[in-house]
Parts: sequence; structure tokens; C-alpha cells
Amino acid sequence: MTNKHPIETEELMAYLDGELPADRATVAVAHLERCPDCQAFAAEVRDVSRRLMAWEVEAPAPHVPAKIIAELEERERKRQKPTTSSPIPRTRLMTRRWAWAGAFAILCVVVGLMVETPLYKVQRMERATGLSVPQTAARTKRVTESANAATGAAADSNGLFHGLGDHAKNSFSRNGQPLSDQQSKEFEKTVLSAELQSPASMNLKNSAGPMIIRTAGVTLTTNDFDRARAGLDEILKRHRGYIGELNVSTPTGSGRSFTATLRVRGDQLDATISDLRKLGRVESESQSGQEVTAQYVDLEARLANARHTEERLTDLLRQRTGKLSDVLAFEKEIDRVRGEIEQMEAERKNLRNQVEFAAISATVSEEFREQLQLPVSTSGRMRNAAVDGYRTMVEGVVGLVLFLFSYGPSLLLWGGILFFPARFAWKKVQRRFAR
Amino acid sequence: MTSDEVLMLEFQGGSRAAFEELFARYHEPLYGFFRRRLDGSERAEDLAQETFLAVIRANSRYEPRALVRTYLYGIALKLVAAERRKQARDVPPTGSVPDPAIDEAPDVALWVQQALGKLDPSEREIVMLREYEQLSYSEIAELLRIPVNTVRSRLFRARLALKGHLESRAGSDPCSRTRPASRAQDEACHDK
Repeated sequence: MTNKHPIETEELMAYLDGELPADRATVAVAHLERCPDCQAFAAEVRDVSRRLMAWEVEAPAPHVPAKIIAELEERERKRQKPTTSSPIPRTRLMTRRWAWAGAFAILCVVVGLMVETPLYKVQRMERATGLSVPQTAARTKRVTESANAATGAAADSNGLFHGLGDHAKNSFSRNGQPLSDQQSKEFEKTVLSAELQSPASMNLKNSAGPMIIRTAGVTLTTNDFDRARAGLDEILKRHRGYIGELNVSTPTGSGRSFTATLRVRGDQLDATISDLRKLGRVESESQSGQEVTAQYVDLEARLANARHTEERLTDLLRQRTGKLSDVLAFEKEIDRVRGEIEQMEAERKNLRNQVEFAAISATVSEEFREQLQLPVSTSGRMRNAAVDGYRTMVEGVVGLVLFLFSYGPSLLLWGGILFFPARFAWKKVQRRFAR
Repeated sequence: MTSDEVLMLEFQGGSRAAFEELFARYHEPLYGFFRRRLDGSERAEDLAQETFLAVIRANSRYEPRALVRTYLYGIALKLVAAERRKQARDVPPTGSVPDPAIDEAPDVALWVQQALGKLDPSEREIVMLREYEQLSYSEIAELLRIPVNTVRSRLFRARLALKGHLESRAGSDPCSRTRPASRAQDEACHDK
């Protein structure tokens, strides 16, 4: 921009081309209206454009050339080919038949599985607990007899009542009186209902697919440790896993390494291991699975049993009265059952977590490359020697001072004590030799 | 009027009418583009057709990230460059390359072609894209892969040079009528 013209000629040209921003275009318009030089320049720019337009070329043939039409038709044929109604080749027909047959077979398998699964589940649960339905009935009968024999006292079918003393069992009564037949039946009902929640019966309610705790181990060697470390995070992010434990070691004289315990969802295990293999060269790999279905089902059953027992005991305690010692014994029993429930709940949660998240133990080691150790220069060695000398001198002085502080008082004391006898002995010796 | 980009997408979807509309809009401009840059009307027509054939063949890969006009002239520029390389290989080094469209051009057109021929090639391309193809600065910048400011400054230099060439033909004095284009020229005019 000059003093005379608030806008450069290049900008003026851009304005004439319609390429100037609005703010500058406003300046250009205002200036162009009153500046004859710029008006002349604008006229010349337009004149150049006008003169260039004198170079006209003849118009081409207006129709679409045959080559392009042919290309368009070819393209349309290609587009229509998949949907054309032309006869389907025999091979394609065969393929379709096989596809239909395959789909039908898959459908049959699915239906078969749906029909088979309930029966399979019952059988599996029986195998897991070692009891069949008739066995459960027999067990119920046995417990009934046991309960009757105990005069309505708590017959401990699952070990939940074993802490209750015989005295409390036999003397728990209304107003200190022994339990009547009706009361005995109530107590029996409590115990029986607890027994009916046995593992075999609970299995029917809580049956699900097999529960397997999956674990895997991968040992890798990589030549790019940092990339492998970053890749591990990326893999975990991709498969929505997390690091249970991570230890990185960078020892001198050997390659770096890290050991990580990764937790990923069971359905992501294979994909995660597949991705982990890409981080380096696989040295070793292992996978294992432990089926815990029976353990889980048993745990569920015991838990439900314990809850029911706790509930019934609480009801009995609320409805009945007795000796203070008996009430305290029942409360103690309820506390014990409560403790067992919480312990089993924690165990169940842990089991679920182990099943849901597979554990992968990944060890990644870096291929060690020995670094070239350049010798220390003479000046560096001299400096190191000077530093060592200074350090030795300071340590010597400090050691002397510390020695004096530590042993000085004792030395002074013993010196003071032994000085006069020693001097006396010395003088006596001197006198003897003088004679 | 349906935009070029919509037509292109319709053509991508299989509409032949959309392509024919695009052809009607750009056949003549593309023919002119090649005609002004290459020798012979037949070759210009061939290359204009090649441009559309390239559009048809690459249609499935087209993405509306740039204007169709820029897309077409981008193809055309590559075809021109390939054609020039081919001509450079085919024509013996001793022979001179004939100027495009000179034979049948009238005097005024010949004069303009000669003036354009005196320009630096990069400036000539910019001024031709601006004047004949009517592309904006940003479209030219995108096609030639240079900054917009470079386009503007080169266009400015090219127009000044053209003005000089055209006026020298007319025998007029560049300082006589207009505002000097630069301070140096301004001072030179004052010295006179």
C-alpha cells in the first residue's frame, strides 16, 4: 500500500477478478471511484482480458461421440449383470442349492440344540453334584427322619447347624417349655426347606453354559521394546481389557523386558493373543482352561441354603422366647451363618470374575544389543581421580572427627585414671635404673 | 439448475442422463482447453473424449471432495502433460513444435498466441486457466498445487507482461495512459 493509493495494483486486479475479500473490496471500490490512475489500470486489465478473448476456437461436434456411448453402454451392462434375468449358469445354481442345504442343516442343528439343552443341563447338573432327582427325594426322606429323631431340633443337612449346641437344640422352647409336636413340625419345616435348597435342586435354577476359567501365557522377543510396550496398551484398549500387574525391568548389560498379567474378556482372549503375537517373535505360548461349573453351582446352592437358614432362624428368634443363654446361642448361630454367606458371596464374585475375564501372562523381552563403550578421555580420568582424591580426603577428616567424638571422652577418662599410676611406675623404674 | 456435483453423484448411481448433462456442459470448454494448448483440432477432440472416458472409468471411485470442474480440468492437465511428453519424444530435436491452432487462426488470435507464447510457462498456464477456463484463484491453486497468493502474484506478473507485449504490438507507450504497475515502473515513468 502506498500513500497515494490505499490499495496495491495486485489487489486491484484481484478485485476486478472478484477474488478480493469483502473488507478490501470496499476499499478498492471507494478508491477506484476517485483515482483516475487506478481507473486506467483497471481498464487496461479488462482490455488485456478482452484481447485474450480474441483467440477463439471452433466449437466441437455437439453430439456425444461413439466411443463414449460405447463406454457408457459397457458400464451399464456391467452394472446390470448381477441383477439380469438371463439364465443362471448351472454352477451358480448348484452353489445356491448347496447354500440352501447348508442353511437348512444349520437350522436343524440349532433346533436340535434348543430341544437338547434342557435335558443336557439336568444331566450335567446331576453329574456335577453326584445326585439324581430320585436321590434328592431319598435324601429329603432321610433328613425328615433325622429331624424327627432330633425332636424338631435343627438337623444340620449342610453343616450350618453344627455350631448349635445340643442343649440349645433340645431346649429351645416357648416360655421354657419343651416344644410341642406342632412346634417340632415348624422347626422340621425350617430344616426341610433348607434341605430342599440342596445343590441338586439349585442346579435346575442356576444352570447356564459351562463356566471355564481360561488362562494363557505368551513369551515374546522384540527388537523394538518401546513399540511393543505401546502396542500392548493399544491391544488392551482395542479389546477392552486391563493390566492386572505390570513389571518392567531395565537391567544394565542386558535387554529390557516386561512381564504383564492382562485381563481380557473370555470372548476376546483369542483375538488378544493373536494381536499379542504381532508384537514380536513368539518364544513360547500356552493356553489352559479349568471348568468350574460344578464348583459354581454348588456354591450357588450353598449360598441360597445359607440365606434361607438365616431367614428362618431370624424368624424363629423373632417369634419365640426362651432362656437368655439360648437366645444368645441362636444369635451367635445367625452371626456365623451371616459370615458364611458373605464369604460365599465373595467367593462367587471372584469365581465369576475369573470366568468372565481370562488371564494372559505376557512376557516381552528386548533383543539385547551391546552398546559400544568408548574409553574415558585422559582429562576425564584426571577429573575423576581429583574427585576421588577430594572425596577420600574429606572422608578421612570426617572419619577422624567421628572417631574423636566417639572415643574421645573414653580416652580422656582412661588417660586421666591411668596417668598418675603410669607416671609413678615410670619414675620408679627410672629410679631403679639410676641406682 | 442441478449442480455438477449432484449430476456426478447421480451418474455414479447409474444415471446416464446425468452424464449427458455433464458432457453438454463441459465438452466445449474442455475442447477449447486442449485446442489452445495442443496442435490440431482432432487431437483436442480426442483428448476431450479421453477426459470423459477417464471420468466414466473412474466413476466408482469418485468422491465429492472437490468441484467437478476442478476434477475435470485436473484430468485434462494430466492428459496435456502426457501429450506434451509424447510429442517431445516423437518429434526430432531439430524440428520446431508447431504452435497450437496457429494455422487457421486469424491475425488477432495469432497475435494473442504469440503474446502468450512469450510468457513464462507457469505464468502462461495460470493466465490461460483464469482467462479461458474462468477458474478461480483457489481452483487454479488446487490444480497446480501452489498457494493462492502465488497464483495471484504470477497472474499479476503475467497480465503486466501481456499488456506490454500487446501494447508493443500496438506501438503504444506503457507509461502514457495508465497507473504504473510497480513503484520501479512509476519511478521510471517519472524519470522520463
